[in-house]
Amino acid sequence: MRTVLAFTFIFVGIFLSYLQLVNGRKFIQLSDNNRIRIVPQLGSRGNILDRKGSVIIGNRLSYNVLVIPRQIYNSDNTIRKLSEILEVPFEKLQSTFRQRQVSSFLPVVLVENIDKKKAIIIEEARPSLPGVIIDPVPTRFYPYQKLACHLAGYLGEIDHWRLTKLKDYGYNKKDIVGYSGIEERYDYYLRQEEGGLQVEVDHLGNITRILGLRSPKNGKDIQLTVDLEIQKIIEESLGEREGAVVIMDSYSGEILGMASSPGFNPEIFINKSASKESIFKNPHAPLFNRCISGAYPLGSVFKVVVAAAALESKKISPSTTYQCSGSLMIGRRSYSCWSAHGDENLKNALIHSCNVFFYRLGLLLGPDRMYEWALKFGLGKPTQIDLPSENSGHLPNSFWERLNKFKTWFDGDTANFAIGQGDLLVSPIQTAVFMASIANGGNLVRPYLIKSIGSKDVVNYQRRLSHVPIRDTTLELIRAGLRGVVGDEEGTANILSGVGVSVSGKTGTAQTTSGRQPHAWFVGFFPAEKPKFTICVFLEHAGPSVYACQIAKRIIEAMKEKGLL
Amino acid sequence: MRSYHLRIIAIAILINLIGIFTIYSITFQSEDPFLSSIFKRQIIWSLIGILGFFIMANVTYRRLWDLAYILYGVAIFLLLLVAITGIIRLGAKRWLTLFWLNFQPAELAKLSTVILLARYFSYQSIRDTVSSSRRFGMGRGLLLPLLLILVPMGLIIEQPDLGSALMLFFIFICVLFFSKIKLKYLGLLLLVILIASPAFWALLRDYQKDRLLVFLNPNIDPLGAGYTVIQSKIAIGSGGFFGKGWLFGTQSQLRFLPESHTDFIFATFAEEWGWLGCVLLLFLYYLLLKNSLAIAGRTSDNFGQLLCLGITVMFAVQIVINLFMTMGLAPVVGIPLILMSYGGSSIFITYVSLGILANANKERTVF
Repeated sequence: MRTVLAFTFIFVGIFLSYLQLVNGRKFIQLSDNNRIRIVPQLGSRGNILDRKGSVIIGNRLSYNVLVIPRQIYNSDNTIRKLSEILEVPFEKLQSTFRQRQVSSFLPVVLVENIDKKKAIIIEEARPSLPGVIIDPVPTRFYPYQKLACHLAGYLGEIDHWRLTKLKDYGYNKKDIVGYSGIEERYDYYLRQEEGGLQVEVDHLGNITRILGLRSPKNGKDIQLTVDLEIQKIIEESLGEREGAVVIMDSYSGEILGMASSPGFNPEIFINKSASKESIFKNPHAPLFNRCISGAYPLGSVFKVVVAAAALESKKISPSTTYQCSGSLMIGRRSYSCWSAHGDENLKNALIHSCNVFFYRLGLLLGPDRMYEWALKFGLGKPTQIDLPSENSGHLPNSFWERLNKFKTWFDGDTANFAIGQGDLLVSPIQTAVFMASIANGGNLVRPYLIKSIGSKDVVNYQRRLSHVPIRDTTLELIRAGLRGVVGDEEGTANILSGVGVSVSGKTGTAQTTSGRQPHAWFVGFFPAEKPKFTICVFLEHAGPSVYACQIAKRIIEAMKEKGLL
Repeated sequence: MRSYHLRIIAIAILINLIGIFTIYSITFQSEDPFLSSIFKRQIIWSLIGILGFFIMANVTYRRLWDLAYILYGVAIFLLLLVAITGIIRLGAKRWLTLFWLNFQPAELAKLSTVILLARYFSYQSIRDTVSSSRRFGMGRGLLLPLLLILVPMGLIIEQPDLGSALMLFFIFICVLFFSKIKLKYLGLLLLVILIASPAFWALLRDYQKDRLLVFLNPNIDPLGAGYTVIQSKIAIGSGGFFGKGWLFGTQSQLRFLPESHTDFIFATFAEEWGWLGCVLLLFLYYLLLKNSLAIAGRTSDNFGQLLCLGITVMFAVQIVINLFMTMGLAPVVGIPLILMSYGGSSIFITYVSLGILANANKERTVF
């Protein structure tokens, strides 16, 4: 009898030790989970403003439905009522409830991002819905929907790759971070700091006391150099065409407007339930920012580089003339021009975009010198714009070709290179920077998008210039040629002459190997006398350059109309 | 050997004090005027109980021989009264309200059954009481006492209080064993119970079935029937080695733990006093039972010995089942932890029972 008693008590003692000594920590954790609740206090992500301070991308409150399992007396009943109000199938809500339930006292997020109206309905019905909470959460708001989607980027839950990269900067799983554009590049400044109220609650979830508070911090607002009006104009003008437009301040490198088309509505990425497949699988790649990530053959716009190289290396003088008979035999192949221009000097060759003249210049210069000058104008290397995933394009040279493609460089390749065909690939932003250097007197600017972060002006850190070693006389001659492209009646961009402001520029019709329509380019600056704006219009597989000129015309006219010049 | 009975009362009062401190800790913050005053009620009941102890210690337990059937009758009557008032009030209750105090007849039923069985299995010889069980056949040795037990059991099950009823039955089996009844009868009884147990399952109420299922796996219904066990284990486990300190237990203070001042008071105590406190408390309970056993061993007459053993078993079963239950080792049945749990009837009957033990010890010294 006594031994039975002793053994029973020893057994109780052993089990007690198991609970309290072996598993003590686990149970302390569990009891803390019962009583300590973090009431999150969310800050809002920094706004993205235009150069005048109006909001391009902001925040608004969205509403989540939370339920506290312990406080629901009959979960099926409550969920059924919620499913009626929210018009979500009962089974779906029930399965989310089961999946997300962690502990009896922890609120479960049942539905995210519901309408304000429905949130009010639920809030009013709360006496009959015990344990249901409506939780307002600041959410990204896109008042202009698609506008500036590429340069701003979109938001999403952090992925594994970004997490491993950013863990040391205080990023955690399930954080919302920027993808592409400003949202990604300046995420560190834009992101809010989540605060929280640590409270002790009793078994009914009533707060008995406050244990601690960390106040939330809002993200810093970022002011762009982009002008909302210009951005609207260029996006409207581009419409649904595949292409890109960049408008840049020729002297500073500030991007005033930058659009790639087709675009996307970034709102889709905040809505967890929305299907993103149509965006990811779209063959026109709406997420792709053609302005900085695209690389395309430049076509005749490259002739400006060749002209500058020829003048600077004194291979020709301004009055050197070549005759264009419509084609030129190089080796055993005939290289054609689009018309028989007769005698052409440099200025006229630019105005008419004469291929034969530039074939000859190209052969005179040789590929390496053209390569060298293209590099001096910033082609073939990143512009260092403050956006992620910039493409540096590709500049061909004979050495590289031999190394990588096992190809011998022929004179024909030189001729193609001289008119911007062949292996040359550039991005619209590079082209804009190169054209700006012609406009502003030989300064290669670094394009940038950010004026200030928070209240701190960052322009001084952004502005960087390097000088292209080019004589003013050369620049003047080229500028005269470019002015003629628009102003001369025979100029290839003559349709731009009536826009009410003097425009200079160069057109390009870049053949593509795929047999599809060529790319259309117009790259220029205006007003010609004091060229504040540099514009680059690029249309992918749109046909001859005149289409790009039409878009440029529409943009410049609209800017003039709104008094933005 | 007076020291046994002094030891018993000293240990009992010590445990009782620990219980009162624990109850105070649970309720001192409560805004409910009833709850915040229950530690005072517990003190009053304890004083009444101690008074009962000294009365019983000085009244020879042989008087109980005469009172056995009367006490049994009173217990049955009170149980019936509970059942009837329950029917009138259209709601089950376990207690009777006599003036300002509530009384649970089930507690009395336990003690009176022990006294009755002790008498039933003894007969008076010239000098002393002698075991009568050897002379009994199947009918008088097994069936009749079983019938005597089933009446209060049935009434208690109806309350419904499965735990107390089962405890009564367990006490019955133990007394049967101690009465030196032929072991084949005992074996037969256990066999019948084993065979009939599926039928009992069908008789159980739904919530009782739930409790048993939940005992097997508390996680099948963490918010419902399994909730109490989970929270109780959390409370005990989170006490750790030193405990969270008196008045600082979070599970009980914030009322995550239901029944923290009655059936689950051990969990509350364990949370606040930790492993150290628990081991001390277990040791006190062990000493109490050991001394009770010692008294039973020293009592020479059969009636007294059965009485003492019965009372010891009654204590032991309540203590062990309650401890097992709070640690999740036994299904949740409403059995209080004697001397700790809040409840006047339990305290009073426990002290009275201890008084009987004390008296048995004293009487022994007379001879």
